[in-house]
Amino acid sequence: MREGEGFKVKPSARTLLAAAKRSDFSPSKRVEICNMIKYFINRVLLTLPTFVALMFVTFAAIRLVPGDPVEVRTGEHGITPERLAFFRHELGLDQPVWKQFFDYVWALLHGDFGTSVVTSSPVVKEFLTLFPATLELSFFAMLIAIAIGVPAGAVAAVKRGSLYDQALMGISLVGYSMPIFWWGLLLIMFIAEGLHLTPVSGRVDLIKYFYEPVTGFMTIDALLSDQKGAFWDAVHHLILPSFVLGTVPLAVVARMTRSSMLEVLSEDYVRTARAKGLSDFRVIGIHALRNALIPVVTVIGLQVGTLLAGAVLTETIFSWPGVGHWLIESLARRDYPALQGGIMLISMVVIVVNVIIDVLYGVINPRIRHG
Amino acid sequence: MDNTAALAPAPIAPAPPGPLASFWYAFRENRGATIGLYLVATIIIIALMADILAPYSPFEQYRDAVLAPPVWSTGGSWRFILGTDDLGRDMVARLLYGARVSLLIGLAVMGISMVVGILLGLASVSAGGIVDVVITRVMDLIMAVPSLVLEILIVAMLGPSLTNTIIVITIVYMPRYVRLVRASAMAEMSKDYVTAARVIGVKKLRLMFVTILPNCLAPLIVQAALGVSDAILEAAALGFLGLGAQAPIPEWGSMLADARNLIRSNPGVVTMPGLCILVTVVAINLTGDGLRDALDPKMRRS
Repeated sequence: MREGEGFKVKPSARTLLAAAKRSDFSPSKRVEICNMIKYFINRVLLTLPTFVALMFVTFAAIRLVPGDPVEVRTGEHGITPERLAFFRHELGLDQPVWKQFFDYVWALLHGDFGTSVVTSSPVVKEFLTLFPATLELSFFAMLIAIAIGVPAGAVAAVKRGSLYDQALMGISLVGYSMPIFWWGLLLIMFIAEGLHLTPVSGRVDLIKYFYEPVTGFMTIDALLSDQKGAFWDAVHHLILPSFVLGTVPLAVVARMTRSSMLEVLSEDYVRTARAKGLSDFRVIGIHALRNALIPVVTVIGLQVGTLLAGAVLTETIFSWPGVGHWLIESLARRDYPALQGGIMLISMVVIVVNVIIDVLYGVINPRIRHG
Repeated sequence: MDNTAALAPAPIAPAPPGPLASFWYAFRENRGATIGLYLVATIIIIALMADILAPYSPFEQYRDAVLAPPVWSTGGSWRFILGTDDLGRDMVARLLYGARVSLLIGLAVMGISMVVGILLGLASVSAGGIVDVVITRVMDLIMAVPSLVLEILIVAMLGPSLTNTIIVITIVYMPRYVRLVRASAMAEMSKDYVTAARVIGVKKLRLMFVTILPNCLAPLIVQAALGVSDAILEAAALGFLGLGAQAPIPEWGSMLADARNLIRSNPGVVTMPGLCILVTVVAINLTGDGLRDALDPKMRRS
């Protein structure tokens, strides 16, 4: 894990630390809490330069895109110099570059991520209506990866060298190497088109079921709507896309659980647990697996970025109305403000999730924050 | 001479194998890795000899045989063994040339990002201070954004093409190499042999490239091997989204994209390019895993 020593702790942090020092905890506990707060603040401060750089990159990138933004908005023909000047002024293009950048940062800090030139609605609004679809897809993908990957990997470790172990490692290698856009097409071809087991695209059967989006999560909205069968229909639509998106994480989780479990199984405390006469199930299922899962949690955290990248492909294949599909569409429509704002928002989500995972990991595993 | 002759009768242990021989021995132990290596070699030969192996040009459109089925299905003929695509181009030729495109992208990305990774990583360690902070921060930024999202942003800037695919993927995968070189060079810096070299006054450049770098190579070679397969996958994904190599270049990913609406009518056109990607990536990953086990048993892939 990263250790940020380059940043001084801010006054607010200092008061927090002082408060922790003054409290009635035992000295060792107090040191522990101070360390944790320090670790947390460092981790959060470390993301600030990343955010600034991200703003700079998205700003610069869109300026370097070929094509004039005014032309994109008004079309190439028949624009008078006065209207051109008006649009340039409206878009702030008549200002010096540094001023434009600060205006951009200022707008971002106020939650203004630009306006789509195609739909003329704020990018944040579009993002927020589409993001739940991506989140729901990613959540189910991760659920599949963990629910299958952890037990499969753990059993492989216990039965090391067996046919099952070798087969699982082989399958996970293929899963890890899978071009998921092709995998998705194959599954559509055989399962959706061939066997008619699942729908080909979309989130719910709009002819049979219609309900107001309350949370944006189709499965939850379906439950809230009280329509018979709507929930299962939504799940039915989710199975194939989330399995496709979950394939690579599934392989990674299975591999990681296996190798981490192998390590843990040779530890002294597992031998002690065995010597105490605990049942195999307790030794493996409780003592070993719980400790083996610590590195697996980190790996799951690291998969968040992979998952969002995969979502772009999965959503494109299944016409899933999420942010990944939207990004590709925006690029195709040359809707650069939407692209710019969308990339900014997606990156922010990933950075924030990574911080949360790091901090959680620091809470679970004290060795990290002392390191 | 007399002395050696006198010593000769004593049983002499065979000379220990050189580093290359012992590496090869360890590598051969791993059956999967050996198979992977043979597969990779085959794919490289196919890519190199595509001109000779391909029955037709990958660009030639046979208008009389659009979407010809492969030889084993009804209506197939030996003229086009794997059939033709929707423009009447021979699938065999396009798949063979596709190997060339994919390997070119994979190797180019690996080569460039390895060189840049070594330079930036070593610069980061030897200069330290602000240089180190800036390099590390920039790499963190690249790693913070999901790979495909960053690639979309850069492709929007540069426009889609084969060269830009290589540039974009290099940018996205470079941080891994930089971090790896930086971390292992850091670890080496505190070792005694480096201190000794410094004491006798070895210059900084020599210290970095001649003394330290060879000792960081093992993990770097493994990363490079696995990096090739990642780059090939990423390039195919970009091609599939229409952001990679442009028509008529026979790139496996864009071939898949072209075949997308043929799912119902021509499953073969959809299946084969993806299968080629999968086999290539699996072969390289098998080899990479074997390399890792042979070079450093302690390293584990997450």
